[in-house]
Amino acid sequence: MINFKKNMKLQLEKFGGTLISREFGSEAFKAFQPTLRKFSKDEKLEIDFSGVLTLSPSWADEFLSPLLNQLSDRLILLPSDNLSVHATLRILQEVNKRPFNIKS
Amino acid sequence: MFTISQAAEYLGVSLNTLRRWDESGKLVAIKKDGGTHRYYREKDLEIFASDLMKFASEWIQDGVEFPGTFYCPTSSIFNARLTKMQNALMQKPGFEKLYSLIVLIAGEIGDNSFAHNLGKWPDTAGIFFGYDLAKGIIVLADRGLGILETLRHVRPELSSHVAAVEVAFTEFISGRAPEKRGNGLKLVREVVIEQPISLFFTSGDAEVRMQGADKVFNVTRGQRIVRGCLAKIEF
Repeated sequence: MINFKKNMKLQLEKFGGTLISREFGSEAFKAFQPTLRKFSKDEKLEIDFSGVLTLSPSWADEFLSPLLNQLSDRLILLPSDNLSVHATLRILQEVNKRPFNIKS
Repeated sequence: MFTISQAAEYLGVSLNTLRRWDESGKLVAIKKDGGTHRYYREKDLEIFASDLMKFASEWIQDGVEFPGTFYCPTSSIFNARLTKMQNALMQKPGFEKLYSLIVLIAGEIGDNSFAHNLGKWPDTAGIFFGYDLAKGIIVLADRGLGILETLRHVRPELSSHVAAVEVAFTEFISGRAPEKRGNGLKLVREVVIEQPISLFFTSGDAEVRMQGADKVFNVTRGQRIVRGCLAKIEF
């Protein structure tokens, strides 16, 4: 799941290809916490959406929103051409009133 | 020809249900040479099972039983069936990219039913989830509390189904405690407006119809009062 290089990379598809329910998003966030605790303060976390077929705002609000709160600018989202990823990130930025750091 | 057992398996209902449906004329069986055994043509079963809106609305209105293949008692079963639908939809020509937004819409509406009724289902837990990808239709329904009742926990001032559905689709609910409430329906509205997707959604006597070339979001008061929520997505 993770490569310990300069940036830590998380392949979101490890949590499944269809990321829909609020309940499962919350479970995923809890499951990721032990890994995050090993994360050093100068490291960045890159989220890779490749392999994710559908991402919903409910799932992402339980996973990406709290990560954004924890990591702020150190959370980097890798580009994706998936329409549901685009739509979901758009609404979450509106809800959280802060932009994600999306790598271009 | 299917035997009654095969037909029961095909539709996901019990033998007794099929016998009852035969007697009431809802789904009439064939009896060979005046015998008592019931048989069914596959084509007839297919046609019977294709009226998704009828099954869903009769279920939420009057609790009428429907083929079990459309029933998702838990969120996990819904997720599994949604993934199966997604895998079929992404193979459909013209939907290679759009599939993910259709799955997002169906997923948000279905997941809302579970998230807002957990431990609070008035009678039958779970949702109706039926789809026909050839016709481009998905139907979701629940016999839950409905939008007004669930939103009143965070917005006690809401006085009508129309006002509640309007809020659910348009406003960000701040300070979500005591209930985790998503913003999924706002995204559903935005996606339906932008994409070649139609939506009919009803809860209580509130109705949302977003269809045609000039789609606008508008909540109106309908003729009947629907228990829980009912949604039809067309594409």
